[in-house]
Amino acid sequence: MNTMPVLALGDPMSTDIWAVANNPVLWICALGVFTVIFVQTVLYMRAARAAAPHVEMPKRELTESFRAGAVASIGPSLAVVLVAIALLALFGTPAVLLRIGLVGSAQAETASAQIAASTMGADLGGSLYTQQVFAVAFITMSLSGGMWMLTTLLLTPVLKKGGKSLAKKNPAVMALIPTAALIAAFSSLSIAELPKSNVHAMLIFISAGLMGLFLLLAKLLNAKWLREWALGFSIVISLTAAYFLHTA
Amino acid sequence: MASTTPVPASNANASMARFEAQTTRYGSITMSIGLLLSLAGPAYIFFFSDLQITAGMVWLSLVAVAATFGVLWFVEPLTYFPILGSAAMYQAFMIGNISNKLLPAAIVAQSTIGAKAGTKRGDLAAVMAICGAATVHLTSLLIFVGLLGTWLVTRIPTEVIEVARLYILPSLMGAVLVQAIVSMKQLRPTLVAIGLALCMQFLILPNFQSVSMFSTALVVIFSILVSWLVRDRKKFRTNGGQ
Repeated sequence: MNTMPVLALGDPMSTDIWAVANNPVLWICALGVFTVIFVQTVLYMRAARAAAPHVEMPKRELTESFRAGAVASIGPSLAVVLVAIALLALFGTPAVLLRIGLVGSAQAETASAQIAASTMGADLGGSLYTQQVFAVAFITMSLSGGMWMLTTLLLTPVLKKGGKSLAKKNPAVMALIPTAALIAAFSSLSIAELPKSNVHAMLIFISAGLMGLFLLLAKLLNAKWLREWALGFSIVISLTAAYFLHTA
Repeated sequence: MASTTPVPASNANASMARFEAQTTRYGSITMSIGLLLSLAGPAYIFFFSDLQITAGMVWLSLVAVAATFGVLWFVEPLTYFPILGSAAMYQAFMIGNISNKLLPAAIVAQSTIGAKAGTKRGDLAAVMAICGAATVHLTSLLIFVGLLGTWLVTRIPTEVIEVARLYILPSLMGAVLVQAIVSMKQLRPTLVAIGLALCMQFLILPNFQSVSMFSTALVVIFSILVSWLVRDRKKFRTNGGQ
């Protein structure tokens, strides 16, 4: 934290994650991606505005669509914000903005980071979660997230030409693989928490129970917003419970 | 193909083709730059920090993650393409949160102006809706996470932060598991996955410590295989393979 030269960044054994995670270079890269998406948005809107009159679509409908999309995403965006803030201590702001806020999702990225940490013999947030472990987790999340972008870049033109995608040829496999993969990954990571300590085990059940409760309430009350906020609420209440269980 | 389009077909088709070409070019260029920028930070850490990270560490960890999620790198673009169309693909996979934010935004916009998905008006409405969603999302992330969140974490007492850091994983993962199970509503894969995960944790790991690095990946791979073997054949019969 003192006066470090730029190239002598970090101490592999230190657990002060923020000293590395909030490095200015990472901030600049994160803000760069934000800028790129803003530019993309502007270019797309210009292209849509040019095409609309020819398909009998008045400008008013473009504005209405934009506004509808913006309003519809206020709730989900703020729900993502809540989850992102909860993960700040773990990953620092630039990594959270990029990996949780954009590109990936809290679910897949946290799972990836934990898998990465476990290959270093550590746990996210545990006593062995050093700057070095954080860095390996961050690099891995970024490469894995990059693969999604790379496959999108490579597959989209192919799919556009082919039209008949694998999804059309064999919908059964295509529906089964992601379901099985995601549920298996989250089951494995959840169950791996159970033996760590009594508090860990209780928290798994508390947070699972809270999510179940919120989803049930959302269904009974027909409250879509509650489904969006369920993850953020579950995390915050579980962490509050963790504080009391830990200090008790 | 052209039979579904309304009156001035040729003009409309030409301008939609131009829209497709433009968005493909803008989309692929911006996404490539986004990809490079998102890898620049990690590259900086890897090459210029004193953290003693070796290529071997990164490879091992990437293989473990790839064995778990690698199949989704390919499945997700294939799954979303028919729903999103090519223009929105370049937006969606950079902005993320596709199923919980971008798709609902697109559907709301289409119903607001009374356009059907898959029509030309529907496509333009979806793209505009995603632009609207992106604007709100980026702005709220910058303000509430970038500025407010960062400030908040520096103000919270360190012992609270310590507890949050120590217990964030179980606090998140239990809820995520239930969310995935409920939203996918697939009983057999769920039972298979939980059963295999329990076996791994309480039968295999105590006896074979060496697989611990790849335990999640193994559970994922075997869950896919076993789920396929025990699939509900009645449901899948219509497209059963050879």
